[in-house]
Amino acid sequence: MTEFYGAPNTGEFWHWTNALHFVLVGLAGGMALLAAILTLRQHPERSRYVWLAAVLIVLDLFVLWAESPARWRFSHIWLFLSFQPGAPIWWGAWGLAASLAATAVLLLKRWIVPLRRIPEMVPGLVLLVGSLVALAYPGFALAINTTRPLWNNMMLFIFPITALLMVLAIALLIGSTWAKRWEVLVAVLSLALLVAYPLTLQGAAREHFNHEGLMGYGIAGLLIALAALLFRNPRWGAALGLAGAVGLRWLLVMVGQFQSPGL
Amino acid sequence: MARLGMLIDLSACVGCAACAVACKMENQVPAGASRLWIREREVGTFPDLAVEFRPEQCNHCENPPCVPVCPTGASYQTEDGLVKVDSAKCIACGACVAACPYNARFINKNGYADKCTFCSHRLAKGQQPACVETCPTYARVFGDLDDPNSEIAKALKAAKRFDVLRPDQGTRPKVIYLNAPSKKGLTQEVSNS
Repeated sequence: MTEFYGAPNTGEFWHWTNALHFVLVGLAGGMALLAAILTLRQHPERSRYVWLAAVLIVLDLFVLWAESPARWRFSHIWLFLSFQPGAPIWWGAWGLAASLAATAVLLLKRWIVPLRRIPEMVPGLVLLVGSLVALAYPGFALAINTTRPLWNNMMLFIFPITALLMVLAIALLIGSTWAKRWEVLVAVLSLALLVAYPLTLQGAAREHFNHEGLMGYGIAGLLIALAALLFRNPRWGAALGLAGAVGLRWLLVMVGQFQSPGL
Repeated sequence: MARLGMLIDLSACVGCAACAVACKMENQVPAGASRLWIREREVGTFPDLAVEFRPEQCNHCENPPCVPVCPTGASYQTEDGLVKVDSAKCIACGACVAACPYNARFINKNGYADKCTFCSHRLAKGQQPACVETCPTYARVFGDLDDPNSEIAKALKAAKRFDVLRPDQGTRPKVIYLNAPSKKGLTQEVSNS
């Protein structure tokens, strides 16, 4: 039996607001990726996606700022141009900032004449790179914590793929039919990752996961499976896929804070 | 430069928690959080029983996983090997809290990551950390691990065995334990259930 005088800091360090961020950053990064691809391909729907990407990035940054206990230092991540390549959050911050700047150029050129001299290809490429960084960062931010065994290397795949599932679902829900086959493909990929993930857990981590997260995981998996199967009813499939991906990301952030035994 | 570390002799520690109280008072640690705590475990089976009183805190690792994950550079290592947080730079993102294998960090209510500093404000005045100074059984020794004439280096040299927490993590902790009650070393939690 273990007892304590004073207590180690084992409580939740990331709360529901952080889980919300992990959902929003997936939406922001994924939408920025779609906007970048559509911009580079000069797709007629590109403007709508650039707007959506900009709104989602701003919303995500606002949520981060609002939940931060250090609101007045929040800008420090960019302010001093510190170079912290070992920190996934540093990459994420700059990926989002670059994406937001690119969307701003693409959107504001309608009103600011000098911006029209910049070929769309340039902000499009910046948006592409920034969005890929923003998509990848959450998985790295979790997987880097080697003593938290639920956040294993599978996070590097689950988080970007479920982000794509969420934004393709939104694309379908707002009437972009080109997203249909991609959404089904990404739902199948997500499902494969969902099946594989529990097999990568061992010992106490698996015990904790089964105890704390299995039911939620099962529900998220069911929703994503339905998203993959309902290709004849894409809007329903999209809605279910979106809900499943949101739930899955939320659950992994919250349940994954478990520290491996060994102390 | 010095390589500051701490030695804790578990055969001398009686689990009185004076160190935890001193730390709390010295550093105004808020309620509900700890920079230092005592883990108490039974060791062995009847009739060969003992209790391990194990004080735990930031290990000021030589290879600290909390430092590189900090996006602003607020977490850093001093030349003396202390792992510290610049509260003016910290954005309280919690990345370091997640990365610490020892649960040694917490987010202070004033909006920054907080942890043991080996009482660096006292060290600057030539004093010992509060936990060392207050320990009634002299279980703690603090000093320069690289100085062969320091008390800590001599104690380590004389020791037949020493242990650190989670050696498998490769963090190279500088809080070092001597004389664990179990001859196999420090006790370990193997499962939560």
